[in-house]
Amino acid sequence: MGEEMPLKMTGVSKWFGGFQAVRALDFEVPKGSIVGFLGPNGAGKSTSLRMALGVLSPDRGDVRLFDIPPNLDSLKRVGFLPEERGLYKKMSARQIITYFARLKGMSNSDAKARADELLDRMGLGDFARSRVTKLSKGMAQKVQILSALAHRPEFLILDEPFSGLDPVNQQALEDLIIEEHKRGATIIFSTHVMEHAERLCEKIVMMARGRKVFEGNLNDAYSALGRAVHIGAAEGFDLAAAMAPVGFEAEPEGDHWRVALAPNQTSQDALRAAIELGAPITSFTPQEARLRDVFVSLVSDAEAQDLTDTLAADAAAQAKDAA
Amino acid sequence: MIRSTYLVTRRDYLGYVSAWGFWLGLLFTPVILGVFILAPTFAQNAQPTRYFTVLEQGSAFSEALRAEIIESDSVMARAALDPMATIEGRDSEAITKFDEAIESGASISEAFEIAGGSPSVLPRQDYVEVDPPVSTSDALAPFLAGEDMISTPDGPQPLFAAFVVNDGSGEIEYWSENLQARSLMGAARRAESDLQLDRALAEVNVNRDLLTRARAARRDVTQQRLRTGADADVGTEVTQADQAPFVVSIMMAFSLWFLIFSVVNYLLMGTIEERSNKIFDSLLTSVKLPHLLAGKLLAVLLLSFTLVGFWSTGSGLITWFARDSIPADIADFLGAVGTAAGDPALFIPAIISFILGYLMYGSLFLALGSLCDTIQEAQTLMTPLIVTLMAPLAMLVFAIQDAESALIQIMAWVPVFTPFLLILRMPTEPPLWEVFAQLGLMAVTTFAILYMATRVYRAGAVHGAGVNDVMSFFGKFIPGKKSAS
Repeated sequence: MGEEMPLKMTGVSKWFGGFQAVRALDFEVPKGSIVGFLGPNGAGKSTSLRMALGVLSPDRGDVRLFDIPPNLDSLKRVGFLPEERGLYKKMSARQIITYFARLKGMSNSDAKARADELLDRMGLGDFARSRVTKLSKGMAQKVQILSALAHRPEFLILDEPFSGLDPVNQQALEDLIIEEHKRGATIIFSTHVMEHAERLCEKIVMMARGRKVFEGNLNDAYSALGRAVHIGAAEGFDLAAAMAPVGFEAEPEGDHWRVALAPNQTSQDALRAAIELGAPITSFTPQEARLRDVFVSLVSDAEAQDLTDTLAADAAAQAKDAA
Repeated sequence: MIRSTYLVTRRDYLGYVSAWGFWLGLLFTPVILGVFILAPTFAQNAQPTRYFTVLEQGSAFSEALRAEIIESDSVMARAALDPMATIEGRDSEAITKFDEAIESGASISEAFEIAGGSPSVLPRQDYVEVDPPVSTSDALAPFLAGEDMISTPDGPQPLFAAFVVNDGSGEIEYWSENLQARSLMGAARRAESDLQLDRALAEVNVNRDLLTRARAARRDVTQQRLRTGADADVGTEVTQADQAPFVVSIMMAFSLWFLIFSVVNYLLMGTIEERSNKIFDSLLTSVKLPHLLAGKLLAVLLLSFTLVGFWSTGSGLITWFARDSIPADIADFLGAVGTAAGDPALFIPAIISFILGYLMYGSLFLALGSLCDTIQEAQTLMTPLIVTLMAPLAMLVFAIQDAESALIQIMAWVPVFTPFLLILRMPTEPPLWEVFAQLGLMAVTTFAILYMATRVYRAGAVHGAGVNDVMSFFGKFIPGKKSAS
């Protein structure tokens, strides 16, 4: 029998009325990993995470949380930070963390001790007994995050955890995620901010228009976009014609040439070839792959595909009507 | 289930009782109720004495009016002397003494003291007649307008009203700038009736004393009831113990209504707070929806027990400490009420009705709250519920007159009214099958409403359904109306 899988979604679809929010989604979160769940607004990320937790039921497909359908037993091993932040405004920070920890099965004394420990660690010790209404927005958000991980969950599901946090608190949250990961927790978080995913994630799942458009590690993601170098040459020199015979594709792009790199080619290979071919080089810039570019490219493709699908469906419907 | 429900119940309950609004309601509700109950008495006592005069050739009408006002003041004095005897329509020793003193020519205040009443509780006289300040009706105008004062035993006072008996036609005119207070005019009409009756009797040579003697000689009609078995020893006359269950049932029905009406708002407000604060997702990944709802309903049920416990203990303590100053017949009646309240035939259906009624209305308010982000939104959906809750209150009026009225019997079968009306019917000892059938129907309806409310709550909490979705849903049933999307 294989290792227990914190989350596995197979062929999951969800409709809201006539709108399909999630389309045949397959992905899994291996134990001990940090997975970035990326996608633009309305991609279906929150709906997918809510289905993962059993808050919403999928209309099609199968969701497994620790190899069983989500239920209170499996959910006790999960900590969840919802996208829509909310706390009981009349309760104190300590009371809220204790309450949610106890709902997850901790004893009263353990929950209180854990709340104190977490509040101290996040610099909120002095506000432990302050009502939520007395806390700043950032502090309240920290309290909610602490509520999600107070019971030391094996699996953390964080929906847009960085939104609304200032850079200092974003860094603090990144540190906390790394710390939880070191403790042994598996983590999935959704975000728009690619830099967080680049710094934290071993695996990326990207969604657009309800579809999964990518699943893999960061290197796979960079490969998906294709690498290149930018080479500037003196005016009049045709770099494309010069490099084509040695296996490089170059094309003019503004005041320089963009030289595409095949998987077996490096930027040093391109520079060496240009020098050997006698190109009068004025500048050389390796184009670093960024997750943001991959994201924009994949999302644009998905949106274009979606538009194509819609047009095709409309055409089919019209043809059917005409017939 | 028990642990998560307990935790939700505990959090919600402590949240409610730690709010200052709860303690304000707890402490001030009895005060406000007391003010409502005593308001008519306060208003009566606060009303200053009003002065009137009569312009008449002769004195026949004014004497009749004076006698009518003395009788009216006597009624108030009797009620102050012995409230229980007045309510029950019987004469007590104090009232008999008072009447004898009046008969022998004593003033009301003198008769009141002779009968053992304290002058401090004697109601103030509403109207006092004064001599006319002028001799013509035209000259009365500045007095009625308040420009001139009349002299009274209490010093110069405004003239409230004047009666002018027309010499020629004999028509009686009532003059006053206060168009609403008509009790003096009513007294004048009764006085005129008596006067004309006296005149008619005189024409046939019948003395008015004959009527007085006839009234004095009238026989009392006593209320009897059938008793069998061990109760037969008590006799057949209806006692306070027989009346007490009806009083208790009305009190219980009203208390039940008041309690439900008071506490369901906590459910509504609590759920609106959770929805507007977006806590549902966090909660629903920690506790099952039915357990969450059970916890919420239990918390407010405990809250209602806290209110009842506090008020009952408070009133019990007040009664205990004031026991020596409570008149014996009132103490007897309170004892009969206490005994009736402890009758299992009354309190068991009352408790079942309260729990089912609370669950029925509580779950509806919970579902309503889950659809609303603000109290303003909730108000648009609350009207039908409020109207439904107000209907049983109106039926209490019928129950006070006749608990066996056909209306109460029929409406008790409507499950949303059963919690209140079944209690009202219990003292009439309805057939046992009817009691069980109504309780059963109420239970089935309660569970159906709970089921529906859970679904609505899920739609609101999980799917974010709101007021517009409700409007859209009902819009489908209106012919020719397109539902909003």
